[in-house]
Amino acid sequence: MFTKKNFKIVFYLLILLLVLIQFFPSIINESGKKETTDFFEVYPAPKQIISKIKESCYDCHSNHTRYPWYNKIQPVAWFLENHINEAKEELNFSEFANYSKRKKKSKLKSISNEIKDDKMPLWTYTLMHKDAKFSKEEKVEIVKWIDGLIE
Amino acid sequence: MKKSIYVLAVIALTFTACKGGKKESSTMNHTKMETQHTEYVDHNDDHNHNDGHKHEHATNQEHKKTSDLTQNTTKNSATTPIIDAYLQIKNGLVATDKNATAKGAKALIAAFDAFDMKSLSGETHKKYMEIVENAKEQAEHIVKSPIAHQREHFEILTEDISDLITLLGTDKTLYIDFCPMANNNKGAYWISESKEIKNPYYGDKMLTCGSVKKQIN
Repeated sequence: MFTKKNFKIVFYLLILLLVLIQFFPSIINESGKKETTDFFEVYPAPKQIISKIKESCYDCHSNHTRYPWYNKIQPVAWFLENHINEAKEELNFSEFANYSKRKKKSKLKSISNEIKDDKMPLWTYTLMHKDAKFSKEEKVEIVKWIDGLIE
Repeated sequence: MKKSIYVLAVIALTFTACKGGKKESSTMNHTKMETQHTEYVDHNDDHNHNDGHKHEHATNQEHKKTSDLTQNTTKNSATTPIIDAYLQIKNGLVATDKNATAKGAKALIAAFDAFDMKSLSGETHKKYMEIVENAKEQAEHIVKSPIAHQREHFEILTEDISDLITLLGTDKTLYIDFCPMANNNKGAYWISESKEIKNPYYGDKMLTCGSVKKQIN
């Protein structure tokens, strides 16, 4: 079955496939406008908190992704697209104002819990984005600020 | 205004202490409680200041919610499958059993899907939908999460289920319990079918922390 010749054919087919999929780009997650429904329109915050949350969360949890260079390559771009869609489904800071009062409150609780438990930002993300990591002090400050918004 | 908030906070505080174990019956009169504890307020004013924000916050929240829950005891058996599934989650957490908890969460999603909404009209229907949307999301997380995370979502879920009971009623006898230490000292509620305290937030570690805040039916 797996003769040398067969193996070679499969190998070339794979290369061809890899070349072909480069012609199918993924959809770029960038709304191109500043949303009036953004999280910080609902909850005005100190500047350093805004910039830290945007830095650490907005690439996946908003309509504004700053893409890395490797997003130019398939299938990586597909993987990221999928990942971002899932993340936005869970929580989208750009559309926070549209959430019901109940949903807002439960999302705030979950944001606080995720950060407190070091679940977010994902370690796989901070591996590639060192600035996204929260220092101990930043963690305390942000969790305190978010807890203050609940009720 | 500010003073009245402190008054409320201190009143609530007296019912919060872990070993207090005081049980309110739904017939208990709030005005009476307030007069009973006025003296306490003066004594504790300083203490309350020092204790800081966190306590005041949690206890205020508690006060508001308990009084909400006194209002509704409509006998309704339609909510029973939903409440039973919630209790299954709660008992899974009491036993610190991740799989049993996840099973309860699956049952809860199924109970919501099977619930007949046709009888709900207008505003009630809208409120119900909001509760269900949020509660189902918590249940989905409980299905796929480790136990610590299950407990966090259970805390959020409890508010949805207690609001659902307020909205639609139940014919079950239930107890609203509160542990001031849970949820990072912000305090957390749970609903139980038995009078005995079995805390779902810590399992074995602190099984008896908490007290009954309210009895339904």
